[in-house]
Amino acid sequence: MHELPLVKSIFKSVKQKAEENNAARVVMVQLEIGVLREFVPEIIQKYWDYITPSTILENSIIDVVEIPASAQCSQCKNVYLLDLQNLFSSVCNQCGCETGTLVTGREMKIKGIQIE
Amino acid sequence: MRDFKYIDLKECILKDNDGVAEEIRKLANDKNIFVWNLMSSPGAGKTTFIIRLLKRLSQDIKIGVIEGDVESTLDAEKIHAFNIPTVQLRTGGSCHLDAAMIKKAMDYLPLDELDVVIVENIGNLVCPAEFDIGADLQSMILSVPEGDDKAIKYPLMFSVCKALIVTKIDTLPCFDFDFEALEKNVRKLNHQIKIFPLSAKTGEGVEDFITFLMHEINSKIKR
Repeated sequence: MHELPLVKSIFKSVKQKAEENNAARVVMVQLEIGVLREFVPEIIQKYWDYITPSTILENSIIDVVEIPASAQCSQCKNVYLLDLQNLFSSVCNQCGCETGTLVTGREMKIKGIQIE
Repeated sequence: MRDFKYIDLKECILKDNDGVAEEIRKLANDKNIFVWNLMSSPGAGKTTFIIRLLKRLSQDIKIGVIEGDVESTLDAEKIHAFNIPTVQLRTGGSCHLDAAMIKKAMDYLPLDELDVVIVENIGNLVCPAEFDIGADLQSMILSVPEGDDKAIKYPLMFSVCKALIVTKIDTLPCFDFDFEALEKNVRKLNHQIKIFPLSAKTGEGVEDFITFLMHEINSKIKR
C-alpha cells in the first residue's frame, strides 16, 4: 500500500540530484533494498513509469540491488547469512549458536543514479 | 557518443519521514514525554490491552493516546470513556502511521500535562514496522490465536521491536501454540527482545510487563 509514497520520495531525491548535476536525462536509478522490506521491484517500476513522464526521469529504469539478511551471533559476534526461508534452522556458521541480532536486510537506500 | 555518468547518492528513501521522526523525538524530550509505539495485526487486542494498562496506571502517570485506524472512531471512543486525552487518526486507506501523522496528532494532545503518549498503530504486521514515528519504545503484540509462526512470515516487525507481548494466553488450551518455536525464531533475528506472555482479559502476566514498561518510562522522563 505504501509503494507510491516511497516512489514519490525516490523521485524527489533523484530529480534534485540529477538537476544539480545538469543531467539531460536520468537513465537508471539504483536502489539498495534489504530482503526484509518486502519490496516488489515490478510495482515500484510501475509507479515510477506513472509519475515520471514529461520529466528528465522519463523512461529511466529502476535497478534494485537486493541486500540479504545477516545476523551477528550473540556469542562469538560472527556475522552470518540468515536463511529466511528456513529461519528455524539458521545458526551461526562459526559456533553453531542459535541467537543473533539482525545486521543487514533492512536497507532502504538510493545507491546512485546514472545520468547522461 | 553518449556520455553516461554514475552519481552516488547513498540516501535513505525514508529520509523525509526520518527527519520528522527526529522532530518528534526532540518535541517529546522537550516536553518530558515518553512515546510508545504499539503495533500488531488487526484484532490482536491492542485496544483491550491499552485499556487494561490505563485502568492500572492512570492514577500514577498521565497518559495520552493516539489511535490509528483505517476507518472509524470506535477505538478513540473506547479510550476516551476513561477520561484519557485521545486523538483518532483515520488514515482512510493508508496501512500504517507515519511520522508526519503523529506530529500532527501531537498538536491535539495536552503535552504539558502528559508523561506518556501511547500510539496504537494500524493493525498490520508489515508496513508499521517500516516507518519510524519517533517512539522511545517499539513494541508489538502477537496473540495466541494468530499462531507461533509469525516471526517467519513477518521478520521485519519482530526485528525492530524491543518488546514482544504475547496476548490471549487464556486461549492456549484451544490452540497448538508452541512458545518454544516462537521464541527460537524471534531470537534468530533479535536475541535481546523481551517477551511477555499475558492475558489482558484475566490479567495474568500483565504485572511483569508493567514493571518493564515503568522501567523504560522512568529511565527517560523525570517525574
